[in-house]
Amino acid sequence: MFSNLEFFVVEALRSFRRSTLMNLVAIGTIAVTLVIFGIFVLLMMNMGNMVGTVSSRLDIAAYVEKDISLQSAGAIQVQIAKMAGVEKVEFISRTEAWRKFKADYGTRLDLDAVVQENPLPHTFAVQVRTPELLPSIARRLSEIPEVAEVRYSGNLIDQMRSLLDAVRIGGAALVMLISFATLLIVVNTVRLTVLARETDIAIMKLVGATNTFVKWPFIIEGVLIGVLGGFIAFLVLKFAYDAVLLRISKALPFLPILSDPKMLALLYTVMVLGGTALGMVGAYISVSKVLKAEV
Amino acid sequence: MFIVGPSGAGKTTLMKLLYREESPSLGKVVVDRVNVAELDDHQVPYLRRNIGVVFQDYKLLPKRTVYENVAFALRVTGALRSTIRRKVMQSLELVGLLRRANAFPDELSGGEKQRACIARAIVNNPPILLADEPTGNLDPTTSWDIVQLLDKINKRNTTVLVATHNKSIVDDMKRRVVALENGRVIRDQLLGGYDV
Repeated sequence: MFSNLEFFVVEALRSFRRSTLMNLVAIGTIAVTLVIFGIFVLLMMNMGNMVGTVSSRLDIAAYVEKDISLQSAGAIQVQIAKMAGVEKVEFISRTEAWRKFKADYGTRLDLDAVVQENPLPHTFAVQVRTPELLPSIARRLSEIPEVAEVRYSGNLIDQMRSLLDAVRIGGAALVMLISFATLLIVVNTVRLTVLARETDIAIMKLVGATNTFVKWPFIIEGVLIGVLGGFIAFLVLKFAYDAVLLRISKALPFLPILSDPKMLALLYTVMVLGGTALGMVGAYISVSKVLKAEV
Repeated sequence: MFIVGPSGAGKTTLMKLLYREESPSLGKVVVDRVNVAELDDHQVPYLRRNIGVVFQDYKLLPKRTVYENVAFALRVTGALRSTIRRKVMQSLELVGLLRRANAFPDELSGGEKQRACIARAIVNNPPILLADEPTGNLDPTTSWDIVQLLDKINKRNTTVLVATHNKSIVDDMKRRVVALENGRVIRDQLLGGYDV
């Protein structure tokens, strides 16, 4: 077997060179499919991550009309702190909030040039014990006369969850369809190279080659196509995602974009292995078909 | 041994039955005590390694040298590289094609192609050599050389079965002759000629 291995590899390379164009088509198809697959996975991972980040926030913000005294603010704070389920309540004055906002975002934008007056209201930052308490406490906060508006992330979470589910189902279906289409194209491509060598195969069989012996070079060729396709997809996606990551971290720094190198390495590995499997299975199917027609 | 008969008599079919290129719809085909007709598909390659076949149209792999073509029959058996080299060289020497080892089939004359085909057929030392119209595409002189070569192989204890139309060869060799007509044996004669 081992003395044959070298022979099989040489045969595969020889055949690969002989039908360069068809092989490039197959490699390209696999690469495109895998890039689309990768984009979907990244999208889903990021959305899941965002939902996770948002729903782990137990904060409610209660905005107060601008003209209340610090004294009455203190009274309201005590009132809120007494509510059942409230973990912590903090008063953030409008001056303080403005200063903080400017510190966070002012470096990229000269805020004082755009806004003459502090536009922010006083805020009570309320933290609840469990996420389930968010709606009821939010309702009770809005019943306080001085409170103008109450905000928490509840609606957003629900919306994102249903969006995530839709993307997950639609994406999985799409990835499956595309993978299947790719498999068909790879099968067809390899079959063309196999058909071009039909006489060769017939002669091989006449001098006593087993089916396995005939198959191996083609399977190795398929693996080669798959590995190359997967690797190209990996490079394309990695550079694209790194560029997106860089842009977003500059423009929208508060967006929790996934950049865990371990997760990304896993995704890229899956892509290369997926390409290899596609190439191998495609080659196996097509060469088996031709051999079945042969004997 | 010669198999003679008009075109369509069944000479080629008989050969194909022997190396299981075709299966009989009825009856048995026994090669070396094995009923070839009942052989599983995956056993067929091993049968073929014990039967050398020489074709009228040579069936050489066009993009490989003579050496590679002959070596191929050994490669499929999983033989070691050193064994392959030694046996291919012996085989090429026997057919007198050693100095053309690195030529491609396109560069060979008809007689040389047939020699290459014979070298490939005998490289495994098969007990049986089948030759279907081995001289069909060759001129008389070259045909005679090929027949001499087959005779030489026969003298090394290999059963050689030749299907042919070539009357002068059959008459000159004076071997066993089986005549076919419409798929049936109509004559089986030791030291026979082309005609009765």
